[in-house]
Amino acid sequence: MKLSTIFKNGVIKENPIFVQLIGMCATLAITTSAINGVAMGLSVTVVLIGSNLVISLLRNFIPDKIRIPIFVVIIATFVTIIDMLIKAFSPALYSALGLFIPLIVVNCIIFARAESFASKNGPIASIVDGLGMGLGYTIALVTLGIIRELLGAGTIFGHQIMSASYQPALIMIMPPGAFILLGALIGIFNKVRSKKASSSKTEA
Amino acid sequence: MNETLKLGLILLLICSISAVVLAGTNNITAAKIEEADRQANDAARKEVFPDASSFKPLDENELKKLISSNSEIIEIYEAYDDSDNLIGYTFKTATGGYGGDVQVITGISASESKITGMKVVSHSETPGLGANSTKEFFQERFIDKPVDKELVVVKTSPTKDNEIQALTSATITSNAVTKGVNIAREAYETQLAK
Repeated sequence: MKLSTIFKNGVIKENPIFVQLIGMCATLAITTSAINGVAMGLSVTVVLIGSNLVISLLRNFIPDKIRIPIFVVIIATFVTIIDMLIKAFSPALYSALGLFIPLIVVNCIIFARAESFASKNGPIASIVDGLGMGLGYTIALVTLGIIRELLGAGTIFGHQIMSASYQPALIMIMPPGAFILLGALIGIFNKVRSKKASSSKTEA
Repeated sequence: MNETLKLGLILLLICSISAVVLAGTNNITAAKIEEADRQANDAARKEVFPDASSFKPLDENELKKLISSNSEIIEIYEAYDDSDNLIGYTFKTATGGYGGDVQVITGISASESKITGMKVVSHSETPGLGANSTKEFFQERFIDKPVDKELVVVKTSPTKDNEIQALTSATITSNAVTKGVNIAREAYETQLAK
């Protein structure tokens, strides 16, 4: 598989949030603001690339029967290292991201890519897959975060956008608003994708 | 070799490597994390008690006595001015909020018998609602409040000087913060005021 195909796969064709529908719990909980989306997306991307790489390098060594506990140990180790490093070397960044880092261990996306890609492909391909999936995830989170923050608080990245008289739709900050918005975005995303697929078929 | 044994050994190997890597990272980072924590805490104390130049932890025995009667107190520091006179205290408390514990640092001035400031240093409250408890406009509602009366949360504009206006749609968070400040107030009144 071409590297560019793998990359685009993660962002569009198999976008973890809009197409695969995995890693949802953290998504709904933390996208209450745009900056949260950026922070979580980047953290997941870093861990995803790291764990994909290590698991891919070890793929011939890890016995099939115990691959799951081993994946979990590797992923948790990565997350813990990142947690400690950020806490020590950038307290400011840690106070922004701190809550989310432990959440990454239970993020299904990382586990899913380890199982379906990294354990079956070479290291370079796995890195690119991690990058693509991570980017697709981040884009989804930031989109959700921007819309929820804008409608639910009137701001984007903390900057007041709506006029002072705007009454925020608080439901957008709560779980029901997240579900509704997510459903709408999934619908739009897949509609655009299927249109593109049918138009490229008619061209061919 | 028995297959189960082989699987067990491989797991052992991977977990051992993980443990070594984590211990190594911990070695590099532990001191820095402690230092960063200390600096953040000192900065927070200075914010709630701007008149103080330095802080010292309260004597261990006195602290134990206070904590045994009130488990929600985490730390107490004595505040000193630049001539090393004891001018007040800072209390760190943890009270139950909407999404978890809310940690609050409260500054109390002994010389003026009032609250010098309040800061929420840790919480899991809802962004846009309870999370606004960290904003200045809410912190300001506690400055210069008296220590001799219990602080009460009200939903409209305060009419008495021991009333605190709640955060809109975040009564639970407002109550948690005010409870923390009241705990500090009472600990000061009953044990430390001389």
